[in-house]
Parts: sequence; structure tokens; C-alpha cells
Amino acid sequence: MDWSSWWATYSTLVLSIGVYGLMALSIYLTLSCGLLSLANAAFMGIGAYVSAVSTLQYSLSFPAALLLGAFAPAGVALIIGVPVLRLSGVYLAMATLGFGEVIRVVALNLEVTGGPLGLNGIPLLTEWWHVLLAVVLVLLLLQSLRHSRIGRAFEAIREDETAARLMGIATHRIKLLAFVLGAAIAGLAGGLNAHYTFTLSPGNFGFENAVDILTMAVLGGIQGLVGPLLGGAIITLLPELLRGLQEFRMAANGVILIAVVLFLPHGIWDPRRLRRWLKKRSKHADA
Amino acid sequence: MLTLDRISRRFGGVTALDQVSLKVPTGQVFGLIGPNGAGKTTVFNLITGLFPPSSGQMSFQGQSLIGLPPHRIATRGIARTFQNIRLFSEMSLIDNVIVGMHAHLDYPVWDAVLRTPRFRRLERNARVDAHQLLQRVGLGNLSQELAGNLSYGNQRKLEIARALATQPRLLLLDEPVAGMNATEKNAVMTLIESLRQDHLTVFMIEHDMRFVMGLCDTVAVLDFGRIIAEGSPSVIQSNPAVIEAYLGQEDTAS
Repeated sequence: MDWSSWWATYSTLVLSIGVYGLMALSIYLTLSCGLLSLANAAFMGIGAYVSAVSTLQYSLSFPAALLLGAFAPAGVALIIGVPVLRLSGVYLAMATLGFGEVIRVVALNLEVTGGPLGLNGIPLLTEWWHVLLAVVLVLLLLQSLRHSRIGRAFEAIREDETAARLMGIATHRIKLLAFVLGAAIAGLAGGLNAHYTFTLSPGNFGFENAVDILTMAVLGGIQGLVGPLLGGAIITLLPELLRGLQEFRMAANGVILIAVVLFLPHGIWDPRRLRRWLKKRSKHADA
Repeated sequence: MLTLDRISRRFGGVTALDQVSLKVPTGQVFGLIGPNGAGKTTVFNLITGLFPPSSGQMSFQGQSLIGLPPHRIATRGIARTFQNIRLFSEMSLIDNVIVGMHAHLDYPVWDAVLRTPRFRRLERNARVDAHQLLQRVGLGNLSQELAGNLSYGNQRKLEIARALATQPRLLLLDEPVAGMNATEKNAVMTLIESLRQDHLTVFMIEHDMRFVMGLCDTVAVLDFGRIIAEGSPSVIQSNPAVIEAYLGQEDTAS
């Protein structure tokens, strides 16, 4: 198989690895300050619809549409974040899932989103390097945040919110920042996604997708930025790799996930475990 | 410096604090003692804004603390440690201390994103300062270790370093030497003595009588949510009500 026909077959899959890497990074942001928010699929949906409508109906340029697709969910996150982030743990998860359902139902009933039929004929504007550039930029942004007062505040809040507040950290504001930034990244991913899949429908951004995104981050591990990217790639590729199992595909998918969570509780990418393992190996080699 | 005026706190039907009035003067080491369950930690939780008093007034340097959220109180200059240690155990010692500097590391987000010279300078300075604080509490050689791997005594010392990193004017210590051996206790005693030299006001809860009597300028005694005595250590030691409520109990217990 030559390159161009390989690309024709697999381009959607390759682009999806990048887009879902972005999604895993977006949920990593909230997880890294201890928030179990499941709104990211809905934020992705908002970004996808806003940017698709921008190019399809208002003939906006692609960069402008992507920017709008990132800002719109960030704005929504800012509004719902203030009341919702008072919750924590399972309650926050339930509230954000509920928000996701609201967004899905709204998309199902609005005319501008095409109702249950969704949008069709979205221009195929996403090139491979757009996705790559987005991933690199988001990685650089998150990496510099991690090593600043903001990143340390995220970590402190996750470990002990009360202690963090007493260290002078305005925890509500920091959590809102993580929530809004995560929404913007999800919106950007949604915009990129819409412009290579050709169609959009409300079902794409529902409960199942929300749980998938969470699974990516948990599976990959949230000890660093590599974990979410890795998790995104695995969850995107796994159904394709297991295609030979036919109808048992989804079951096998589930078994693999359970095994990873049971045996690698910090996720696949766990620098601390890797370091221990390497140390042990070098000791064995010495002996 | 810190004034509590007829502060009460009720939890449901239980009155944890009943009309507590205290004055912690600037530059002193002030001790609060009392039997278990007397409400000592509740006093600290109210001062640091973790929950509001049911009634009464509190002020710090002449300004009311009522209704302020905890992080505002922290930036006003009140820092604390915890009886049941609350470190960021998955973070290194030095990062724990730098978290304490959060409010003073005052660069905007984009400085961090663009890695501006100002960002680098402030971060570098923070690291140097954090190292000095760790050295001051005797943990200078462990800065890269994870906080969760420290011994009990060293965790208490790290909590003090982290609290000092917020640049407080009033330091609240909740049982700073609980679970420490004699050597460690002496080290903390020297440390608090040096904080007094630096004109920091210290307000501490402690059960160790030798420690309290050796360090404190003034001691107040809390029993069943009420202040039953206040004065210099020697006055407190000879107060019959105190002996009955607290010291007497200790004698029969040991």
C-alpha cells in the first residue's frame, strides 16, 4: 500500500489520536486540581458546533472559527463554573454530566445545529499539521503552567484543599481557571474534529464520550503530560486494533481497561514507578 | 495584635467555645493550654476563617477578621500549622515551602506562559528563600525528598517552614512538638526562640508543660470552652482552678 492510499484510509484515525490527546489533556487539567468534571465532552461539542456553523454558514476563516470554537465553551465554563465548582467529588461529576445532557438536548432541538440530523457538509479544512501544532502548543502551555505558581496551586489543592487555602491560595479562582482552560482546549479539539469528520450530530458528545475522555486520562496516568496523550492514543486505537475480535471487541476493550486500572493504579505513564523499576534492573545487572 | 472578643461557637446543640476573650500582644509567645476537647483547635479554626464564630468579634492589627475567607486571612499575615499534620505529601519539601509563597510570588499567568525574565527571577528567588527556610528548621539536606517520606517530627518542622513561607506576622502553632523526641523538641524550642528574636508573634497550643512554661510570655487556660485563667507561666502553675482542671488531672494520670 503506498503512502497516499494509506493516508486516505487512516487519516481520520491519525487525526483522532491528536484530537483525543487534546481531550485527555483538557480533562487532565481539572483532574490535576482534584476536580472530577465530566463536562469536557459537552465543551468539545460546543466548540465543534460553533466552529462548524462559523465556517459553514458564516464563511469565517478556519483560524477564526477555531478561535471562536475555543472561546465559546470557555465562556460557558466561566458562567457555570462559579456555582458548579462549589461541589466536589461525585456531586461535581453528577452536575457536570447533567450539564452535558443539557447541551446534547439543546443541540438536538436547535435549528442552527441541524437538530437530530446534525450538520452535514462541513468543509474538510483540518490538515495533519493543524492538529500537531495544536497539540504542541497546548503541551507547551501546560508544561509552563505546571512549573509555575499556578501548577503548584493545582497540585496543592488536589492534595489538601484546606491546607492550600490557608497558604493564601484563592482556591475557587484557581479551580475556575483550570475548568475554563480545560473547556477552551476541549473546544479547540472539537473545532479541529468537526473539520475532518464532515458531519456532526448531537450523539457524538454525550455520556459515552464523556466517560471515554475520563478513561483516557486515568488509563494514561495524570502524573505528567505524557500520560493523557498516551491514554488518548490507546483508547482511540484499541477498537481498531481489536477489529479481528468482531463482536467481542467492546468486551475485550473493557477487560483491557479493567486490567490496567487494577494493576497500574497510577496509569500507564507513572514516572515514579518507572524510576523504581529502572533502579531495580540496574541493581540486578550489578549483581 | 490579635483580639478575640466574647467569641462563641456552637456545633448544633454543643457549645464548643463560650464567650472566649483573648488578647495576643505583638512580639509575644502566647500559649493556650487545656485538657483534650476543651476547644483549643476550634479557636485556631475560627481565627483562620475555616468556619465563622456563632457570635463575637475578632480582629487582627485593628481590622476585623469576621467574614473573610481563609486565603484572605492568610495574606493578612496569619499562618498556621495543624495538629493532625496536613502537608502536601506527594510534593517535595522545597515545593511544599514554595506553595506557601504563593501569594507573594505575584507574577501574572502570562509571565509563566511566556517564561519572562521576571518570572524566572521570581521563581529563582523563591527557590533560594525556600532553601533557607528549610535550613532554618533543620531540613536543608532533604529538600528534594517527598514530604510523605519524612518522619513525624520532621513533618512538623516542615509545616513550620511552610507556614513561615507565607511571611506571617502571627504564627499559630497547633501542638508543634507532639510526637517528638527530646532532641527534636529542643530544636523546635530554639527555633521558636529565634522567631521571637525576629519579632514574630507566636500563638501556640501545646500539651508539653516544660515546653509551654519555658517559652511562653503569657499562658491562657481553656476548659470546656471557657477561659478559666490567664497570666504568666508561674501564675498559671500556681492557680488552683488550673491545677484542678488540667495539671491535677495530668498528675493523677501519670
